[in-house]
Order: sequence, then structure tokens, then C-alpha cells
Amino acid sequence: MKERTVAGANPGGPGEQVEALQEAFRVLSGAGTLKEQSARFRDVVGRYFGGDELALLRRTAGDWEDITGGPEAERRSGDLPVPAAGEEGASVLESKSMRIVRKLPDGSDIGIILLRRGTGRTYTESDLNTLRLFLTVFENTYREMAARKNEKDLIFSLNHRVLQLNSLIDTGIEVSKIAGTALPHHLALERAASLTNASKGVLRVTRGGRIEEEGWFPQGGAPEGAAPRSGGISAAFDFGGETYTFQLFDKESRKGVIPFDETDQLLLEALSKQVHASLENLYLHREALEKQKIEQDIAVAASIQQRILPKSLPVIKGYDIAGINIPSKSVGGDYYDCIPLPDGRFAMVIADVAGKGVPAALLVSSFHAYLTAYLEAGLPLVDLARRLNRVISRASTEDKFITGFFAFLDPSSGGLETLSAGHNPVFVRHTDGTLQELILGGIPLGMIDMDFPYQSETLTLGKGERLLLYTDGIPEATDNRQRLYEEDFPLKEFMSGHVPPGAETFIADLIADVKKFTGPAPQNDDITALYLMKH
Amino acid sequence: MEQPFSLTSELRDNCLVITTSGYVNNVGGEAIAAEFARHFENGTKQVVINLGQSKVVNSVGMSFLIEIIERLQEVEGKLVFTDLDPAVEKMLSIMGLFQYAGKEKTVEDALASLPGGEKPGR
Repeated sequence: MKERTVAGANPGGPGEQVEALQEAFRVLSGAGTLKEQSARFRDVVGRYFGGDELALLRRTAGDWEDITGGPEAERRSGDLPVPAAGEEGASVLESKSMRIVRKLPDGSDIGIILLRRGTGRTYTESDLNTLRLFLTVFENTYREMAARKNEKDLIFSLNHRVLQLNSLIDTGIEVSKIAGTALPHHLALERAASLTNASKGVLRVTRGGRIEEEGWFPQGGAPEGAAPRSGGISAAFDFGGETYTFQLFDKESRKGVIPFDETDQLLLEALSKQVHASLENLYLHREALEKQKIEQDIAVAASIQQRILPKSLPVIKGYDIAGINIPSKSVGGDYYDCIPLPDGRFAMVIADVAGKGVPAALLVSSFHAYLTAYLEAGLPLVDLARRLNRVISRASTEDKFITGFFAFLDPSSGGLETLSAGHNPVFVRHTDGTLQELILGGIPLGMIDMDFPYQSETLTLGKGERLLLYTDGIPEATDNRQRLYEEDFPLKEFMSGHVPPGAETFIADLIADVKKFTGPAPQNDDITALYLMKH
Repeated sequence: MEQPFSLTSELRDNCLVITTSGYVNNVGGEAIAAEFARHFENGTKQVVINLGQSKVVNSVGMSFLIEIIERLQEVEGKLVFTDLDPAVEKMLSIMGLFQYAGKEKTVEDALASLPGGEKPGR
């Protein structure tokens, strides 16, 4: 290192000098801070030069500072020599003072002023060389200390990165576990603030620009006044019609507030995404639970409905009767039965509730209860329909009603009294293959709460004549191209042209025909039919 | 949500017990360090820091805690953390603080663990 010497004065012997330098190296190496190192340097050098006054100055960004704690650093720095262009140091030797300036490895300048008070001997060139050596020791130990500090800072920084990654993973797991009362965004805000060293943060949930929720970290971190604070870093996502915005402010450091960096932004965005995913999962989880609950309800309703339907139909002497109900996936609202009446007749009933699901099943259940009660009471058919219309009106919502077809059969005479409550036409097949449609009756049950005057019609079934009651699940069965069974295979044609020897066979053949038409297409409505033939 | 920082302290048999509440950040770390320095200058070498009410610590706050540990090491002193929230405990562990500082469940356990410390129930 080149220095400029200005003048000259005297020191101790070489042995004493070496010992003092060794001692200086040992003492200065143990210092943890520049301030501590400077204080030790002043003690060691001052002692070597017999208690002379020493000031150690340092210049980092223009201004000089006395790092040994002395006053008037700026004024005293005026006594320091100025290195010539291209030189890294300069020194001045006078009889009662030595002054050296040197550049340190970190780019700062260090300056020493050693003053001899009183009347002792004057400084020599050898003294100046010794002081230079002391400064070299200072420089080396400072370099070592800086390296140690850098190493410590690096380890701290690496540990902090590990901590950030670990916390990111942990937070992801934690927010995904949160359900019910605790919401994941508060935890994420805390973690984001601590991982980025933000002094405060806020989460705002807004809908259409209006703040629905606002939470600050730490509590009470909201600025005075109502105006939202800008600046810092932010991340946002939309969910459920709301916008969730995280904002962090005032990145802390030991030297004051510093700007957030790219890593901070990435961390905040990652945490924000985790919360977004967590909220979506929470929503889907709740939806799945709700669906599961609905499916359970539907299963219960289906079970109730299946219990209402007849396990077997009564044997009617001189007749053959068969029925079927094939429910679709969801609970439907179809019903059929053949109920012996107290007077020896039989009530054949088929019904279809508008709509599906649990409400439809419940309405069928009510219908069944009222029907059996009224039949036991021996009500005439039109009165039965009128009563059912009233009670179903009161038991159902506005959009729920029941279409039904009722046929009272006197098996001894073949007499048949029928009534259609808004149901699709029922067919009687005569022995010559012609079909008679039975449509007389009235409005669907429960459609209007009024004393509607239903009408019935009568006919007599002759030998070999057949009656088919069915619900719209048969004519409206669809194939994969959404074509209706009724369009390609009119039910009337099937009934007219198909006359197997038994009712069971007819029902089986009809269902097979429908299934052949629909193929693998899902069944979207209940299929129900009741078939009677007179031997 | 975490509260703003505050602390209380007491001396128990020459051991400084600092109890914090809220975010241990620059402000919190400085407050802890200042409280420690005040007692350290008077010769206190054993310190217990109860972080039970501090669920969030940032790295600036941690740097103050590390400084306390280093200063205590120079005089063969000891720092013990207590009542740690699992997340905070993990943070301190990753940052390597438990290589040089202890951790106990409670302040009483910490005092009992220190040389010549109070035994539980005393």
C-alpha cells in the first residue's frame, strides 16, 4: 500500500514492538463490533505510545465519524492528510502528532490521529512505521471480523429462506385444515407479514367495490382516518363474487424501513393462492357434504316410496293383473296399486306427482295415506277425487300436483268406473284390436284448491279385453339422441298389436321394448304401468 | 389476530423474566433487547423469555433475540424461552436459536433448569 509521508520523530525497541503488535492482533481479533474493536485499538496503541491521545475516525459516505466515541469528528478530520490521486493512503509525521489515512477493504476510509501532549520526546519515523503496522493489524482484524459477520449474516439469511419455505408449506397445510369458524385468510396474513418482515398488513374482502370485511395485522394496525392506505405490496384473488386483497406495509430492517423485494411479492402471492385454494376446497367440501346429505335424504325417501308401492297385487278371480314401477335414479313420484274395497270391488290406481325428489316422495306418501283412508270409508269415485284434490292442494306447494287415474272394477260383472285426474289417456283394448281411450275426469289433484266437479265414466270389460294404466315415463322415455319412445313406437300400436296370454308377460314385453329403444341412455323418469286382462 | 407488542419483566433470584405479548418484530425486538440491556449492565446473566402471548415473530425480532444470546454467551450466561407456540418454536428452531438457548414449557420449569435456579413449588 502506497502512502505519502509528510515529516518525522521516535519509539521503543524491536522486541517490544513485536510483542505489542502480537498483543494487538490477539485483542482486536476478539472484538464483535467495529465500535468494540476501535475501543480496544485505542487502548492498545495508546498504551504502547505511553498514554498518548488517539482518535480513530471513519468515513463511509462523505461524513467522518469518530468511532472511538470522541467529539468533533468532522473538525478533527480536517487534520488528516489527503491521499494523492491513485494512492490509497497518506500519512503525516510531526514532532507531536502522527496522522494516517487509509482505505479499508469495504471501501470506507479510516483515519488515525495520535497526539503527544506534554514535553516528552517527539515522534520519529520509526513511530510512524509502528503506527502503520498497528493500523495494518486493525485492518486485518477488521477484515476478519467483517468476514465473520458476513458469514453470520449469510447463515441467518439462508436459515431465513429455509424458514420461509418451511412456513409456506406449513401454512398451506394449516389453511387447508381450517374449516368452520376459523378462516384461513387471517392465518395467511399473519404468516405473510412475519415472513416478509412487514410491520403491518391488511386483508380486505370486497364485493362490488364495497368492503365486506377488513382485518389488520397486528390488531389496531389500521391507520388513523378512514382512507385506505396505498403502497407496500399486494396480492388478490376473486372467489364467490368477492375480491380478497392482501396488502403488506413497511418492510422492517435493523436500519429502518426498506423496500419489499421480489421474494416478498412471491411469498405473498403464494400464500394468497393457498388461501384461494383452501376456500375453494372448503366450498367443494361443504357442497359434497350437502350433496351427500341430499343423497341420504333421497335414499330414505326412495325407501319410503318403495314401501308404499305394493309388493304383490291381489288375485282377482277371472282376471289377470300385473304392475311394475321402475324408479329413475332420483326419487320420483309415481304410484300404483290395486286395493280391494269393502264392497268386493277393486280400486286400480296409478298416479304421478309433478316433480321429483324428496318433496315429490313426501306428496306421494300423503296421497297414499289419504287414498287408503277414503277408500276404506267407501267414498264414491267422484267424491274420492274431489276430496283428494282438496287435501292435496293444502298439503302441497303451488308447483306440486298429482295426475292420477282411478278405475273401480266390479269383478263379477266386469263393470268399470273410471276417472282421470289430468292423467294421460288410459287404453282399453277390445278383442278386435281397437283401442278405447278413457279420459273423462277433471283437473290434476292439488292443482287448484276448489271443489272441482269431477266426472267419471263407466264401461264393462268383456272377456279377453284388456286395460293399460301407465305414467308418462313410458311414452316419454328417450334414447341417446333425445328422441321420445312415443314418437317411434306409439304405445297404442304396441298395445293393439301385442296380446300375450298373461299380464306379467305383457308388462315384461312392454318394458323390454322401451329399454330396447332407449338403449344405454339414462332413465330420466319413473316408469310405472298397471295391466289388467279379463279371461 | 395478533395484538400490538407489549412486555413485562421481573427479577426472580437474579434471573430476568421477560413476558411478551404481541408481534415480536423490530419494535418488539428492540423493546426486549432494551429491557435485557438494562439488567445485563447490572450483572444479570440469566434470562427467561416467555413468548406465550406472542404467536408471531419475524426475522428482525429474531435478530434481537440472537444478539441477546450472543451477549450472554460472552459472560457464560443463559437464555431460556418458554410457553412457545408450536409455530414460533419451529421458527426459532430453524433459525438455530436452540443451539445456544434453552426452551422449557413454563417459566417455572425454566427457572428450575438454570444453575442455582428455583425449584418448582418453591
